[in-house]
Amino acid sequence: MAITMDSQLLALLQLTDSNFPSGAFSHSYGLETYIQDGAVFNKETFFEWMRTYLERQLAYTDGLACRFAIDFFLKVELERIWELDQKLYAMNLPEETRLANRRIGDRLIQMGKDIFPVPFLETYRMKIRKGEAYGHPAIVFASICDYLSIDRHQTILTFLYSTVGTLVQNGVRGIPLGQTAGQQILLELHPHLIQTVKQIEEMAPDDFGAAAPGIEIAQMRHERLCVRLFMS
Amino acid sequence: MKTKTGYLKLVSMQKRGKTILKDSYAEGAFKITRPVYLTESGEAYFYVMNPGGGYLDGDSYQLELILEERAEVFVTTQSSTKIYKTRACPASQEMVIDLAAGSVFEYLPDPVIAYQHARFKQRTLIRMEPDASLIIADIFTPGWAPDGRFFPYDWLQSKMEVYMDGRLVLFDHVKLEPDRGINSMGFMEGYSHFGTMAVIHEQLDRDFLEELVQWMEPLPDVRIGVSLLSVPGFSLRMLANSTQAIENVLFGCHEVIRKKLFQKEPVFLRKY
Repeated sequence: MAITMDSQLLALLQLTDSNFPSGAFSHSYGLETYIQDGAVFNKETFFEWMRTYLERQLAYTDGLACRFAIDFFLKVELERIWELDQKLYAMNLPEETRLANRRIGDRLIQMGKDIFPVPFLETYRMKIRKGEAYGHPAIVFASICDYLSIDRHQTILTFLYSTVGTLVQNGVRGIPLGQTAGQQILLELHPHLIQTVKQIEEMAPDDFGAAAPGIEIAQMRHERLCVRLFMS
Repeated sequence: MKTKTGYLKLVSMQKRGKTILKDSYAEGAFKITRPVYLTESGEAYFYVMNPGGGYLDGDSYQLELILEERAEVFVTTQSSTKIYKTRACPASQEMVIDLAAGSVFEYLPDPVIAYQHARFKQRTLIRMEPDASLIIADIFTPGWAPDGRFFPYDWLQSKMEVYMDGRLVLFDHVKLEPDRGINSMGFMEGYSHFGTMAVIHEQLDRDFLEELVQWMEPLPDVRIGVSLLSVPGFSLRMLANSTQAIENVLFGCHEVIRKKLFQKEPVFLRKY
């Protein structure tokens, strides 16, 4: 099947569209704790938080996982995909975040399977059903992009963009900020997204999972917030 | 393979309600005391000593602990672990721990103090049976200058993997770099000290954790995060500006865990 550049682009746009029902809009990944603590309250503080989240949390965890998954799919090393899935689950210490990734991963598998005939997704679903795997958005995303023959660089960039894009939208609702401020933040994050892909490409496998302590603590503390707009 | 700066192996077993040393081997700059018994419950206490004073460029230490069925071992250090300038080749420490059925392992070392230009890598591998118990903690602090200011170290990395029945159940990875100003929110949040604890015990549930949270929430000068693991247990992370603030939390948690989960008396570690 010949897939042209245009149809690849359209597929990526659809996958990262905020209307794509991944369920990510219900999760703040610790941001809500910062909002309630008063640490994130305007455009500047939110941009700062987003940058740390992208460069010092997402890059070392899901971002690097996405790079690993792309490689494993290319080399058809399925065993290593299952190892990665296990590791992603075991390294996510905050329970809510662990469950959030699992839930979003599950939704992505379901949706992905219904719109793209990616054989891996059915295998993944069965494996999860049998309790032998957990499900993670980075793996699902990489498998769909692998199926669509999208290159590695674009896959990682798009994955980061979709995660960051949803979080900015959630911040706009939670802080709250105006839609324009949200779009400006997203635009200001562009060079950092590009830089982060480069950073991920250069990381040693040993760097995997080195999460930002402050964000991890905030994700744990989220469980005990009294009023919550988000599930994590 | 390169020779280790210090190597230590310890095999312990349970005999008539008391944990005894079955076998031990030490090499280089790593020593361990004979087991001492600080409580009536029969668990053996060991103090690891590093007569070398501190870790220098390229130093590598390895510790291997084997707990046979129902053995109960508590390991701590005699004093803090000091990491000096290690820019040329990071210092490293590796621990491999095997916990057989019904065994209990507690590890509460003194802090790791990292001085200027220090680079330190710590790896811990734990293999445990589902009914074994684990308490493991760590404190990472910056070293200070004679005028009391903290020296920024380069980085400290700690990686721990816990396998239960051959399945990875906990992968705990931190790599600390002192705040580089602009990105302090989300990373060290402006704090200088970091503490961590992981506890795995068959009977640990949400109610127990909530009770523990009730106890530690009012504690001052610390920012604590705690959450249940995917196996019965929890992970705790905290930021503070002094070793004492962190030790208050860790020792307090330890006491509650001993009392409520292990039904054991509290223990006072006599070191000095």
